Amino acid sequence: MDELYWNRAIETMPRSDLAILQLSRLNRTLERAARSRSYRGRLPESVRSLEHIRDIPFTTKQDLRDAFPDGFLSVPQDEIVRLHSSSGTTGQATVVYHTRNDIENWAELCARSMYMTGVRKTDVFQNMMGYGLFTGGLGLHYGSEKLGSLTIPASSGNSKRQIRLMKNFDTTVIHITPSYALHLYTILEGEGIDPKKHLHLRIAFLGAEPYSEETRRKIENLYGMDAFNSYGLSEMNGPGVAFECTEKEGMHLWEDSYILEVIDPETGELLDDGYEGELVLTTLHREGMPIIRYRTGDIATVYFGPCPCGRTHRRISRIKGRSDDMLIVKGVNIYPMQIEKVLMDIPEIGHNYLIEIDNVDYLDTIRIKVEVVQEIFHGDIRELEGLKRRVVEELKNEILIRPQVVLVEPNSLPGSEGKAVRVVDRRTRIG
Amino acid sequence: MASQVTVFVENKPGRISKIARKLGDESINIRAITISDMGEYGLINIITNDPDKTAAVLSESGFSVSRKQVIAIVMEDRPGGLADISEYLHRNAINISNAYGFILEQGDKAVLILEVDDYARAEKLIRKGGFHTLTRDELHNL
Repeated sequence: MDELYWNRAIETMPRSDLAILQLSRLNRTLERAARSRSYRGRLPESVRSLEHIRDIPFTTKQDLRDAFPDGFLSVPQDEIVRLHSSSGTTGQATVVYHTRNDIENWAELCARSMYMTGVRKTDVFQNMMGYGLFTGGLGLHYGSEKLGSLTIPASSGNSKRQIRLMKNFDTTVIHITPSYALHLYTILEGEGIDPKKHLHLRIAFLGAEPYSEETRRKIENLYGMDAFNSYGLSEMNGPGVAFECTEKEGMHLWEDSYILEVIDPETGELLDDGYEGELVLTTLHREGMPIIRYRTGDIATVYFGPCPCGRTHRRISRIKGRSDDMLIVKGVNIYPMQIEKVLMDIPEIGHNYLIEIDNVDYLDTIRIKVEVVQEIFHGDIRELEGLKRRVVEELKNEILIRPQVVLVEPNSLPGSEGKAVRVVDRRTRIG
Repeated sequence: MASQVTVFVENKPGRISKIARKLGDESINIRAITISDMGEYGLINIITNDPDKTAAVLSESGFSVSRKQVIAIVMEDRPGGLADISEYLHRNAINISNAYGFILEQGDKAVLILEVDDYARAEKLIRKGGFHTLTRDELHNL
């Protein structure tokens, strides 16, 4: 640890050295993985160069589901100290098992990531992410403790208590969802607290929901702090896979711990840096449950060239969407996340919406239903029509299609708790 | 001062009957009701004998509800009655965004409800003009 880097040797390692490290770790990973039921007989014993990784078949979400609960377990179960599991809302749940070393390495990546954004042991970290099976809470909790910051496991919700904790313990760093950050600000305002004057916040990790640059800047301005974007998925531990440095230009993906590939989601063909495609990741460090060439489903672009911060690990863009929920409407590719991102920027709407896609007389239509909840209703038609126009215009700028916006009564859409269904595609497939 | 309750409703069958039934069950008397129809949705404006209770009942039933101060003017129920008032407001540059009325039981008088942009100024002017505006209590006891 020095002033700039948590681990200078690893973070600034020349790419040629990084490749050597990756190859040796990949071969160790292949050996470990071959001990699991699901990988047995499916993997080469070793590869001679990193390029040969492309001869190994992909591992998919479905493979993980089929192996429920422990087909990918590579060590005896008594070596396992923790498991995390997906909610299983969209199918069979998936489970990830961690050994003590896995937890330690994950904490190391989270500490490194947090340190990169400027968190130091003198900081007070209030973690407002949900704890439990969801990896967001515990991941950064362990990272922060590893780094040496005072860690407050506040978990999500209970705004009054969050505010009290921030005041009582001079919280400097928070981990929060963007929508909750905006909501919390209204509560602070109501209590006459100006975070810029009365609180000591300086860094925020925004996660668990898609959000735009505009939302980031808005939150930064409201609170007077730096907000950072990050990327993680439970199959690859959770948070700490990729994180922004203080340049805020893309997220460094920790290539000493993961092999990063980008593929065309349709053909599986490997893409060069700079081309948008699906991220494919291989764990290089994991003992309990190594995963080789995992198709994340996340669509992003790898940036060209080095970062001014001096780190050599490549950067990925924001996640544009998920390959498995891409919609083709009027011949245009649209990810629901793009729509969500726009709607999140319109405070009157928040999570109150449903996207419906229909086919009327052979023409695709996209319709956004928005609930006119009590908070936004002032009995004014002009206001409601203005809101409709604004949603149409801002969406058109993002997805290039003019949607129809329909205002509906409160509580007529699926609830905003958890992973509600927000896209309904009613088109009948032809052919 | 009179108070109007405005409810957001989707344009689907049974919305008005639902609202009317809820109010009826709570012994609330509807004096006047109008609908601003925007196609897929509409705003229902309601004048009742008890606006506070009306708003509470509808809100509890899950509707989005808004309250607005409106001007309730008593006028002769005769041809030209509305013309007198609207000409006066026009001369004084008061913009009316919505207007509707109802006839009183006795049959010789009507009540005109006006939604205006600048409520405070309009109220003052109308009084100065010698028109009789109804107070909340008067509306309640009609």
